Amino acid sequence: MSIGEFVDGPFWYFSAAVFVIGVLWRLIGMLTMGSKRDLSVARASGSAGAIGINITRFFPRRDFWSRIKLQVVAGYLFHVGLFVLLFFAAPHIEFYRERVLGFGWPALPEWAFIVFAEIAFLGLLLLILHRMMHPVTRMISSRGDYIGSVLLFLVMLTGCLALARSHESLRILHFFLAELLLLYFPFSALMHTFTFPFSRGFMGAHYGRRGVRV
Amino acid sequence: MLLYCPKALAARLAALLVATLLFGCFPAMAQEKDPAAAHPIMVPNPAADLWRAVRQREAPAVGMTQVQGVETGVLIDSSGEDFRNFRRQDFIGNAAIFIGAFAALILVFYFTRGCIKIPGGRSGKLIKRFPDIDRTIHWFTAILFIFQALTGMILLFGRFVVLPVFGQEAFSVIASACLEGHNLFGPLFLIALFLLFTRFAAKNIPKRRDLTWLRRGGGAIGEGHVSSGFFNAGEKIWFWAVIVLGLTVSISGLILNFPIFGQGRETMQLTLIVHGITAVLLTAGSFAHIYIGTIGSEGSLQSMTTGYVDENWAEAHHDLWHAEMMERGEPVVDQRKEKQEIPPMNAAPDKA
Repeated sequence: MSIGEFVDGPFWYFSAAVFVIGVLWRLIGMLTMGSKRDLSVARASGSAGAIGINITRFFPRRDFWSRIKLQVVAGYLFHVGLFVLLFFAAPHIEFYRERVLGFGWPALPEWAFIVFAEIAFLGLLLLILHRMMHPVTRMISSRGDYIGSVLLFLVMLTGCLALARSHESLRILHFFLAELLLLYFPFSALMHTFTFPFSRGFMGAHYGRRGVRV
Repeated sequence: MLLYCPKALAARLAALLVATLLFGCFPAMAQEKDPAAAHPIMVPNPAADLWRAVRQREAPAVGMTQVQGVETGVLIDSSGEDFRNFRRQDFIGNAAIFIGAFAALILVFYFTRGCIKIPGGRSGKLIKRFPDIDRTIHWFTAILFIFQALTGMILLFGRFVVLPVFGQEAFSVIASACLEGHNLFGPLFLIALFLLFTRFAAKNIPKRRDLTWLRRGGGAIGEGHVSSGFFNAGEKIWFWAVIVLGLTVSISGLILNFPIFGQGRETMQLTLIVHGITAVLLTAGSFAHIYIGTIGSEGSLQSMTTGYVDENWAEAHHDLWHAEMMERGEPVVDQRKEKQEIPPMNAAPDKA
């Protein structure tokens, strides 16, 4: 079995299985963990607080804006760019159709793909550098944060290096790194992709029930 | 019976040979005398005429075509071959010599002059020099530049350096990856230049005192240190070189990257040369910048990694800025005091 066949075959199934089982395991674990029953009389709706904070947290607070504008702008650039690349790049849609879902959807044109790749790289590079340069962010960053960011950067980079789609080895390198990312994903802070609505919701419900506007 | 007689057969063969020789020689002799008689019917080769028509050496032959676009009427343009020869034989060789010579010059300078030490050594007192945002933008530009320089060098010199080492197949993969990466990160470098300009331009406006700094060759070449503000004249020259050359290399890169705005062959060739020359100049300049920012000058790198510089370093290299900071009463972090006051987190509890 060649390296390409291994990456396309057994290693893909293994990493995909670890990703799916790992993410489900963590989500189910988090949701079933439960919390101590709040016996106080509710001053306002906890559900409204949960929904509200899920929306308001998308916008930075005006008081903090001058200090966090770099993180906010770079964060949005990266996440929007990555989302578009992941779900609207023609090679990815082709992959989902052939290997995962069995169906596809319209892809972005090549020029739009390039624009969103630029946006995603701009955001990610600025975020990594901010993590390294800002003294407080650097202090609270763990090794896992750096591993996740660098791995993501390498997956994106190798994907773009393989854009010409003329060399199988470049595609295999990109796919291999993407599989490593899938393996790492459930055990890292990258899980915030799935957990952020629940963590925001928990905090929103906690404060909402007490009538606190956050 | 006569036919089967060996003597008769030999005689006939001899006669045939003589006749062949005679008929074979006479036309040749006749041709020498009268060339037109040799080919009484001239049959021109249509393919040869067509080839001569399209393969013009002096100027490209422009024909008519249904396809609308830049130079679509030109089947073959010899200037492309001339440009290819110029690029491979003249440009690449000279670029390699220039970059190599510049790197060698820096090495010679390092071995003769050595690292410029902080006069009086480190004081342990730190002054804030670059805020986080400035350092983030600096390293963002640096990462993009290094990536672009490496991929660009592989595209420029790879045929002569990478190909013999890794072989054709591997070089094909490397070159393809480098080209895609180079084209993708090019526009980001333009954004980095914009950010760099917005954050650093005001501090890099030339002043009269910069002439004194230049006349005395800065602190590295002349005797003693020369007064300077936040940036000295050398740093200012590098900053404006980065902006001007960076803009040139970026815009020329965009012209090459997006050949959809009616650029003809000549424009693309000229742009490629401009792109190459500015990239080589920037790369050589970056060697000097990296050298003086790391092993060439003690305490300089710290300003871009932590944002702080030692007070003695500031006083020696940027005395006017240091005096300004002291006048304004900017806080000075005393590392020695901080170490005494704040015990390490894993320190054993004081028994007394």
